[in-house]
Amino acid sequence: MRPSPEKKYRGIVLVFYLALIALWQTLFSLQLIPDYLFPSPLQVARRLWELGSDGMLWPSMQATLLRMAVGFSIAAGIGLLTGLLMGMSRIVNRCLKSLFLGLQTLPTAAWAPISLLLFGLSERGIYFVIIMSSLAAVAIATSDGILQIPPLYLRAARTLGTPGYAMPLRVILPAALPGIVTGIKLGWTLGWHGAVSAELIKSSVGLGYLLYMGRELNDAAQVLGIMVLTILFGLLLDRFLFAQIEHRIRRRWGLLQAA
Amino acid sequence: MDPNASSIPATARAATATVKLRLTRVTKVFESGGQRVEALQPIDLEVSEGEFVVLFGPSGCGKSTLLNMIAGFEEPTSGEITLEGQPVTEPGSDRLMLFQEHALFPWLRVIDNVTYGLRWEPGYRFRPRRRREKAMELLRLVHLEEFAKSPVHELSGGMKQRVALARALAPDPKVLLVDEPFPALDALVRAKLYTELQDILVRTRKTIVSVTHDPREAACLGDRVIVFTGRPGSIKAELTVELPRPRDINDPKVAECAGIIAKQLEEENNETIPGEKI
Repeated sequence: MRPSPEKKYRGIVLVFYLALIALWQTLFSLQLIPDYLFPSPLQVARRLWELGSDGMLWPSMQATLLRMAVGFSIAAGIGLLTGLLMGMSRIVNRCLKSLFLGLQTLPTAAWAPISLLLFGLSERGIYFVIIMSSLAAVAIATSDGILQIPPLYLRAARTLGTPGYAMPLRVILPAALPGIVTGIKLGWTLGWHGAVSAELIKSSVGLGYLLYMGRELNDAAQVLGIMVLTILFGLLLDRFLFAQIEHRIRRRWGLLQAA
Repeated sequence: MDPNASSIPATARAATATVKLRLTRVTKVFESGGQRVEALQPIDLEVSEGEFVVLFGPSGCGKSTLLNMIAGFEEPTSGEITLEGQPVTEPGSDRLMLFQEHALFPWLRVIDNVTYGLRWEPGYRFRPRRRREKAMELLRLVHLEEFAKSPVHELSGGMKQRVALARALAPDPKVLLVDEPFPALDALVRAKLYTELQDILVRTRKTIVSVTHDPREAACLGDRVIVFTGRPGSIKAELTVELPRPRDINDPKVAECAGIIAKQLEEENNETIPGEKI
């Protein structure tokens, strides 16, 4: 389909990552920091492999993903509904937008202490952190998406006889979908931050818990390994799931030129 | 009617047919920042059943405002608009507007765009199969039945405008309002669409009010052309086009007729700026 600049870049990107690993290996070889604090790429990979074959890795990833699935679904539902109200009422928008923008300035990890106080070491507390981390992003993106709907769609809907009660589901939400998807994408990333942060302090399974364990055991290889894994996982979902969906919707809504 | 409005007597058909749409002393004043801008002086207009009336005039003459008021998007400052005797208060599918841009919903496939307006029409509520049958019939009318399941963004500009036409015809509006049809398309596609639009017109006998600043388009499409003058807008003349249909936009007779229509505005210019032209 498209000619090769994409492919050429892909090669360069690969070289960049290989160089990065080589640099890491070189730094390790210089022995500036003792190797139990600064392991080599190979040691990290080996530790990840061990964790995997000990049956520690997969259940942890599953646990974190499951928490995200539940927590983020709730957050997205509430966020969509709140965003819809904000998009349709100027007063609601004025009140809630500043509040949500304020909440967004809070680092996601800052929700962990209050969650610990409110819910103790329960699973609900982790959901709470995920929801509070991602809710504002979804709500703001939804309301912004609604406010950016081309007026022509609304006029067309009205002249076609759409009754008021049918407008939100038939026209407003679908027309705002490009903005909503952007919000879902951002919300997921923030929720992911929140999930791992919460697991750091109040869990017995999950990626965050493995990070915590690594620190407790002075196992730098495990800490770095889980960090790399968390990054890869997030990147994978962002690039290959959300970005694809976003691209398709933008193309369909005529917001990109067709290839 | 306005005594000085009619320069050529209306056709016998228009005179005897029942009045569908009636505008009585309709005015529009816009207020912005304490300033009152008079957009339209009192307008009287009657549109008969099955008639194609073109509102023609320079940009800013208020013709689009008038169309918006008929559609119910804007309220007249004074005067009354009635459709079959019922006053117009809000937008609705009995006065369906076809926009300059196709305005199709990108989240729906072609066929779902066409069935969209039927969802709330009596006789079609909760009857998806009947809606689909009606939509396919209309897609056949605009020769796009094989694209029924395509997403909108895969169609060309001319095809999208035809889908928009099918979507507008679906709820069987009493009056179809057309706002500067097809300006965004190239000349060839446009000429073809004019022919198609007339063909559909002849078949469906729709009552249509359209707006344009192109005299050729007015001559090609209209049974009756209402010529508007500039700010504040008022009716300057009313012409009946009696060329047989379907009319070809490139036909010399259409061009001649367009010349007569355009001339109405030139006379206007001579009146307002005396001595500038012969």
